Amino acid sequence: MSLPLLEIQRLNKSFGRVVAAHDIDLIFEPGVLTSIIGPNGAGKSTLINLLSGSIHPDSGSIFFEGQDITRLPIHRRVKMGLCRSFQVVNVFPELTVFDNARIPLLALRKRAHGLFRPVGGEKDVHREVLEVLERVGLPAEAGTTASALSHGDKRLLEVGIALAAGPKLLFLDEPTAGMNPVERSKILENIRSLSREGKTTFVIVEHDMDIVFSLSERVIVLHHGVVIGDGTTEEIRNSPRVREVYLGEEVPS
Amino acid sequence: MVHRYLTYGLYGAMAAVLIGIGLFSGRFMLYMTMKVMILAIFAMGYNLLLGRTGLLSFGHAAFYAAGAYGLGLVSLHLSSHPLLGIFAGLAAAFVMALVIGFFCVRHTEIYFAMLTLAFGMMVFSLIWNLRSITGGDDGLVGIMRAPLDLGFFSIPLRKANHYYFFVLFFFLLSIFLIHRIRQSSFGLILAGIHENDRRIEFAGISLRNYRLAAFVISGVFAGLAGTLGTLLESNTAPFSAHWSYSAQPVLVSLIGGIHTFAGPMVGGLIFIVLREIIERFTHNWMLWFGIILLVIIMGFRGGVVGALSGFAKQKKTASTEI
Repeated sequence: MSLPLLEIQRLNKSFGRVVAAHDIDLIFEPGVLTSIIGPNGAGKSTLINLLSGSIHPDSGSIFFEGQDITRLPIHRRVKMGLCRSFQVVNVFPELTVFDNARIPLLALRKRAHGLFRPVGGEKDVHREVLEVLERVGLPAEAGTTASALSHGDKRLLEVGIALAAGPKLLFLDEPTAGMNPVERSKILENIRSLSREGKTTFVIVEHDMDIVFSLSERVIVLHHGVVIGDGTTEEIRNSPRVREVYLGEEVPS
Repeated sequence: MVHRYLTYGLYGAMAAVLIGIGLFSGRFMLYMTMKVMILAIFAMGYNLLLGRTGLLSFGHAAFYAAGAYGLGLVSLHLSSHPLLGIFAGLAAAFVMALVIGFFCVRHTEIYFAMLTLAFGMMVFSLIWNLRSITGGDDGLVGIMRAPLDLGFFSIPLRKANHYYFFVLFFFLLSIFLIHRIRQSSFGLILAGIHENDRRIEFAGISLRNYRLAAFVISGVFAGLAGTLGTLLESNTAPFSAHWSYSAQPVLVSLIGGIHTFAGPMVGGLIFIVLREIIERFTHNWMLWFGIILLVIIMGFRGGVVGALSGFAKQKKTASTEI
């Protein structure tokens, strides 16, 4: 039997008296588009931060393709293929869109050390950067300074930077936050088709129930740092526990 | 595009002027120009760290001194070949920057600045107290400028107008190397660190390693400046390791503009010339120098070069609007 992509065992994290993760056990299989939902303060961001390496757990283990990565620094996880995007726009503002996507690709192709070779000479990287921009729908903006992009395009670039690192597993933290409906459907269509390509497994943290139920094959519900629901969209919709704490108001029966 | 040709033109003109000075000037002019070039090398290397990664070091005098004493010791005890001395100085600066940088780059901002300051003070007191090796407060004296022996022929460096071209060579080499570094993959990563050091790790980049690399490179250029300065003066000064000396590349970079390539060079010129002029009129040169520096730093946002190129751009857009 093949190893799961990511396995979390009894993960705990608290900030003072606030429990943000309590004995979380989860397994992510390759290719399954998953969403993580939960009310504010449920521990979604903490979970992503724990998995991507921004913070370390109080106890518990994280395995990526069978390897223990619980204490690994961020950049090592990225190199292994575990990456994330951010809820707030977090790009390189004064660099061009092209350079924004070029930085992770240089790291991925191990070309980031060249001290005296002009960066423009890396033709392979050049081509791949254009491919990434194509995939997120920003090829025309390659020469634009990132800070000059519209908010929606910045969000696309945000996803583009994450994709350029060549992740096997990619966490998207509220990828549609602050987008207008047109941009929103554009990025969702993107995620859907990228997921179908099969190179990258997506895990999305979302507020918007419509998005979650239309997009995902699996939904995980967090509440006060505890997993209270995990299953297909149908199962989550019909779970009494989930409806009680979370969906009660939003989905009338 | 026009901008680029203008830049190349300016650099060509600068090289021509520097060669002209070397051919036709008197000793004083040669000496001052060499001081400017050496300070510019120091500051250009330093600005690779400050301008590109945003790390403010107050300990780079230690690497300048490592270069100076590395060259001095080899020159006095081993061989007076200038290239061997320079190599020894660079190696000393490299090792010292690697060790000190290893501890410092784990921290940022004020903690980084204070750590570099602390290490710099340690190096200074070592040089001050290890009298038998470093000469203590006298420094190493009597360092000869031996001929540059290249095997098949040798170039004398003893006279100022000969040594001048030696310094000019390293000055132009430094400009070339730093330009290449800024255009390279490594340079782009540094720019990314400057833009957003939180995101860079999520691009699969080890922030610490790249900071350390920038630190070491800037330390090696400081060491180069130290070797050239020592050959110029024929002795090492222990105060070149003092932390107050570390402020020089910071000020020079700020005067010229930390986000520009040419800033440290222009800043070095202003620094040396201003100081020379003021020193002639008053003993309180530090007071007047401080006041003038305040005016320059506060009046020219982004340094002299930054302000001028910003002004040029504005004028251009204004003229196209008309």
